[in-house]
Amino acid sequence: MLQFLIKRFGQSVILILIVTLITFFLINLAPGGPASMMRMDATAEERAALSERLGLNDPIPVRYGKWLGDAVQGDLGPSLSSGQPVMDRIVERFPHTLKLAFWTIIFSVIIGVVLGIISARNRNTWRDHTINFGSVIGLSIPSFWLAIMLILLFSVQLQWLPSAGTGEGFVGQFKSMIMPVIILSTATLPTIVRFTRSSMLEVVSQNYVRTARAKGMKEKTVIYSHALRNALIPVISIIGVLIPRLLSGTVIVESVFGWPGMGRLIVEAAQSRDYNLVMGVTVVATVLVIFSNFIVDIIYSKVDPRVKNIG
Amino acid sequence: MKSKLATLLMVFILFIAGCSSDTNTSGESSSGGKETEGVSKGGNVSIPIVGDPIFNPWHPNAYAESNLVNRVLFQGLTKPGLDNLPVGNLAEEWTTSEDGLVWTFKLKEGVKWHDGEEFTAEDVAFTFNDLVLNASLGSNGASNYKALDKVVEVDDYTVEFHLKSPFASLPAYLAFNSEILPAHKFEGVEDPWEFTDFNKENPVGIGSFKMGEYISGQSLKLVKNAEYHNGEPNLDSVTFKILPDVNTQIAQALSNELDIFVLEDKSSLARIEQAENIELVTADITRYFWISLDMENPKFQDVKVRQAMLHAIDRETIIDSVLEGYGEIANAAITPDQKQYFNEDLKTYEFDPEKSKQLLKEAGWEDTDGDGILDKDGEDFTFQFDIALQGDLEQIAVLVQQYLKDVGFDVELNTMEWNAMIQKNIIDRDFDMILNWWSYPSDPDIYAQYHSSNAGTGNNIPGYQSEELDKLLEKGQSTSDPDERAVVYDEVQEYMAENLPYIYLWYPKELSIRSNRLSNVPDMYVGGALHYIYEWSVTE
Amino acid sequence: MSELTQEGVAKLPIQERGFINFFRKLAKNKIAFISFVFLLLVHLGVFLGQFVWTISPESVDPANSLASWTSEHPLGTDDLGRDVLARLMYGGQITLLVGFFSMVFTVLVGGIIGAVAGFFGGWIDIILMRFTEAMMSIPNFFLALVALTVLGKSPFMVILVIAFTSWMEIARVVYGETLKWKESEFVEASKTMGSNAMRTLFKHIVPQIIPTIIIASTLGIAWAILTESAISYLGLGIQPPTATWGNMLQNAQQYIWTAPILGVLPGLSITLVVLAYNFLGDGLRDLLDPKHHKK
Repeated sequence: MLQFLIKRFGQSVILILIVTLITFFLINLAPGGPASMMRMDATAEERAALSERLGLNDPIPVRYGKWLGDAVQGDLGPSLSSGQPVMDRIVERFPHTLKLAFWTIIFSVIIGVVLGIISARNRNTWRDHTINFGSVIGLSIPSFWLAIMLILLFSVQLQWLPSAGTGEGFVGQFKSMIMPVIILSTATLPTIVRFTRSSMLEVVSQNYVRTARAKGMKEKTVIYSHALRNALIPVISIIGVLIPRLLSGTVIVESVFGWPGMGRLIVEAAQSRDYNLVMGVTVVATVLVIFSNFIVDIIYSKVDPRVKNIG
Repeated sequence: MKSKLATLLMVFILFIAGCSSDTNTSGESSSGGKETEGVSKGGNVSIPIVGDPIFNPWHPNAYAESNLVNRVLFQGLTKPGLDNLPVGNLAEEWTTSEDGLVWTFKLKEGVKWHDGEEFTAEDVAFTFNDLVLNASLGSNGASNYKALDKVVEVDDYTVEFHLKSPFASLPAYLAFNSEILPAHKFEGVEDPWEFTDFNKENPVGIGSFKMGEYISGQSLKLVKNAEYHNGEPNLDSVTFKILPDVNTQIAQALSNELDIFVLEDKSSLARIEQAENIELVTADITRYFWISLDMENPKFQDVKVRQAMLHAIDRETIIDSVLEGYGEIANAAITPDQKQYFNEDLKTYEFDPEKSKQLLKEAGWEDTDGDGILDKDGEDFTFQFDIALQGDLEQIAVLVQQYLKDVGFDVELNTMEWNAMIQKNIIDRDFDMILNWWSYPSDPDIYAQYHSSNAGTGNNIPGYQSEELDKLLEKGQSTSDPDERAVVYDEVQEYMAENLPYIYLWYPKELSIRSNRLSNVPDMYVGGALHYIYEWSVTE
Repeated sequence: MSELTQEGVAKLPIQERGFINFFRKLAKNKIAFISFVFLLLVHLGVFLGQFVWTISPESVDPANSLASWTSEHPLGTDDLGRDVLARLMYGGQITLLVGFFSMVFTVLVGGIIGAVAGFFGGWIDIILMRFTEAMMSIPNFFLALVALTVLGKSPFMVILVIAFTSWMEIARVVYGETLKWKESEFVEASKTMGSNAMRTLFKHIVPQIIPTIIIASTLGIAWAILTESAISYLGLGIQPPTATWGNMLQNAQQYIWTAPILGVLPGLSITLVVLAYNFLGDGLRDLLDPKHHKK
C-alpha cells in the first residue's frame, strides 16, 4: 500500500508539473495582456508602467521558473486583476463549486442507481426502454440551452425558482441549487444509470447469484441481498471518471446561473489574461481531480474484494 | 514525500472547512428583513454590476463596475451638476490664477471619513501626488492629468493644483472617477494596488454609504453614512448585485429584485416596455461611436474617400434597428449632453450611395473592370475591418460592411476578442479600419484623441495629424472662460465635420431601467444620478 | 479466450456481406433506423438545401429584423434581418463539418495511441496508457478554454481542441480491444507465420476493431457537436459572422425575451442531431458488438 501511495504521488506530481507548464506557456502566448493594460484609453506609457509592475518584461521561461519556485512554497502570487492573493480568490469561489459538485454527485448517484436497477430488473421492457431513451436525451441536450429553457419556464413564466445567484437562507439556497444541479446531472446521471444497469446484469448472470436462485431464494432477496451489493462496487469507480466531467460542466452552469464558483472564475481569468489566476485555478482543479480519483481508488480497493493489488 | 502528501490533504481539508463555514455565514445573513419607516425614509435599492468591484478608483483594474460603487463610497472634489457642468463637492469653491497655471481649491471643513478621521488637504495631496502622478503605478485615468505638475497643501482646507500647461477642464475632470482616498489608511503601504485590505475588503470611504457586507461574486451591501457631508441619506442601504448576464438582470428587474440600471443591450426592449413595474428613462451621455481608418494608408488619406464612406452608411437604419432608435447621428466629437458646447449646425452626411460613388469617382476610385469592386490604377479597394466581440459592435459591423460593399469597397470583416483587438489595433496600431466608441468626461477638451502629439502611441487612434486642428485644441485648453471656449470648440466641431479625422457615426442615448418604487432620482444619466444617491428614496 | 475467438470469427462475415444486409439488420432496430434516416435527411438538407433555398445567409436587411414566419422567410429573420432558414443550413454545414472532423482527429489520435499501446505492450504500453490516464484525470476543459483563448477561434482550432479533449476514451476502448485480439488464435498464427508486427497490426487487428471504431465515431460526432456548442456559448467557439448552430444559439440568448424562437431552432437542431447520432451509435453497438447486446 505504501509503495502504491508513493508511486501514485510521484505520478501526480509529474502530471501537475506538465499541466502547469502547458498552461503557463499557452496563456502567456495569448494575444493581449492583463486587462488593466488593455483599456482603450490607456497610453503607451501607462501600459509600459503596468507591464513593469506586473513583472511581464522577463522572458516567459524565466517567469515560469519564478512562478514555479513560489508555487512549490504555496505562494500562487497575486491576482493580476485585483491584487488579492490568488489563493484567496480561489478559496472564496471554491466552496460554491464544491457545493454544486457534491449535491450533483449525491443526486445523480441516488437517482442513477435507482433508475439503473429498475432498468436492469425490467430489461427490454418499456421501463427499460424509457429510461434508456431518457438517458440518451440527457446526454444529447446542450446543457446551456436546457438551462436557458428551464430559466424561461421556472423563473420567467412560473417564477418558482431564482434565475441566478446562490440564494439566501436555507430555502433560498435550496431553491437556487435546484436548476444548476439538474443541469449538471444531465452529464453524470445517464452514465451512472447505464453503468449500474450493465453492472447489475453482469452480476445477476454470475454463478453465485445463479446458485442463490437455484436454492430457491426469492428473486427480490437475490437481487437486493446478493446482486446489488456487488453491482454497486464498480459504480464507485465511475465517480472518479465523472469528476473531471463535472468540473467542465460547472464552467457552463456557473456562467448561465451566475454562480460564483471556480468554473466562472477560469473563464474570467482567461479573458482578462490574469496569468496568475489562470495558473492557480488550473493547478487547484488538477490537484482536486487527481486527489478525488485517488480517494475513489482507495475506497474501491477497500470495498472490492477482487481488487487485491492496485497500481 | 509524506509531508507533501500531508500538505495536499491539508489543502483539501481547508477547502472543505471553507465550504462549511461559508454555509454558516450565508445562513445567518438570511434574516435581513427591513422595516419601513414612512414613505421616503429607509429601504434598500438594488443595482446590478457585472463583476467584483475594486474599492479604489485609481486602481488599474477599476472598471465600470468599480466606478459605480466608488462613486457611492467615495467623493471627488467636484461632481457633475444637474446641468452636467462641474459643481463643488468636497471642494466648496475654486479660483484660477491669471496664467491659468495655478488652481486653488477651498475644501469643505468638518467632513469625516467613515472611520471618523477628518478629511483634510493632506488626503487630496496624497491622492494626486502619491498615486496619480506616480508614473510607475500606472493609475487608472492618470493620463487625464498629464497637465498636472503637483498638488500643494496650503493649509488643512486649501490646496493648490500646479499645472505644467493650462488645463481649463480641470474641474470637469475632477468630477470624473477622480475620488479622493484617505491618506491615513495608506500610510506605510508599499504597493497601493496590492493593499487588499482596503481595495477589496475594508475600504474607508467618505461618501453617502459605507461598507456593509461583501460576498465575492454575489453581492455588496453598503449601509447609510448618517454623517454624510451633503446630508443624511434617505435610504438605509444600497445593494450592488453581481450579475454578469443581462438576461438575469432583466428577469430580476421584472420581478422587482433590481431597481435601476443602464440597459446597454436593447434586444429585450419590447418585453421591458410591457412591464408595469418599470419606467424607462433616456438621457444624453458623453459618448460617440466612430470608425477609425489608418491614416498612414494613402487610400484613406483622401478626405473624399472618408466622406464617401460616410455617405454610404445608412446610420439612421442602424440606429433604428440595432439601437432601437436610441441614438442621434453624430457629425463631430462633442456630444449633445454638453449643451453649452454642442454645435447643432454642422455639415452632415446623409445616406446617399450615389453621392458616395460620385465622391469616390472624384477621388479616382471607380469599378472599371466590372467585378463590383472599386479600383484605381489596377488596384482594388480592398481592406480589413477589425471588430471586437463586445456588446453591439459585431452587429453594427456586419451592417456597416454590407453598406460599404454596396458602393464597391471590398471589406473583409475580422472579428476578435476584446483583449486581442486592443493588442493588435491599439497597441500595435495594426489595422485598416476599426469601429469603436469614446466615452470621456463631460467637457469639450478632446485633445487626447485628436492632437498630433497623441498619434502613434496615444489616444489619437487614426493617427490623424493637422496643424490647424492642433492649434484649435491648444487654444481650447488655455481658454477658461466658457463663452470663449464655446467659440473655439464650435470651430473644432466644424473642422471635424468637414475633415473627418474619425468617421463619426452616432451619439448613443443612455436607456435606463428604473423601478416605479424609486423616487427623487435626478433626471440625468445613471452614472451622474449616483452622485445624488443620498437624495434617492423608495416606497415599499 | 476461445470464446472470444469464436465471436471474432462469427463477426468477420458481417463486414463482407455488404451494405444491404447491414441495413436490413439496422432496420430491425427502429430507433437506430429512424435516426439514420433522419440524419441522412438533415445532411442532405444542410449541404444541398442551398441549391433549393438560394437566399444568402449573409444578406442583411435591418429594416426587417426579427420578422416572423412568412413565405419569404419561412423561419423568420434574425436580429439583422438575415434569413434564419438559410443561416440554419449554412450554420449546420459548419457545425456538422466541425463535428465530423473533430471525430476524425479524435479517432485517429485515440485509435493510434490505443492500438499501438495495446499491440506493442511493454514500455510503450506503459508510457502511452499512463499518458492517456493522465489526460483523463485533468480538468481538460479548463485547458481547452485557455487554449482557445490563445490559439484563436478558427474552425480548425476548434476541431483540434475538441479532439484534444476527447481522444482518451477511444484510446482506452481501442487499447482494450487490441489487447483482446492480440492474443486471439489467428493473430498468434499470423505471428508464428512470420508476418512483421506492423503487418499483423494492420492486417489482422485493425479490421477486428473497426466495429468498435465505427461505434465510437458515431458517438464521437455527437460529443463534438455538443462540445462545439458549449464552447460557442462561452464565446470561445467559431466567431460570428460565420454561423454555426452553437453561435447562433449564443447570439439568440439576447432575444429570449423578445424572440425566443431564435434560440429554440438552433437548440432543437443540435439536440435532434446529437440525439440521432447517439441512438445510431447505440444501435450500431447492438449490431456490431454482440457481446454488448442486450442480454
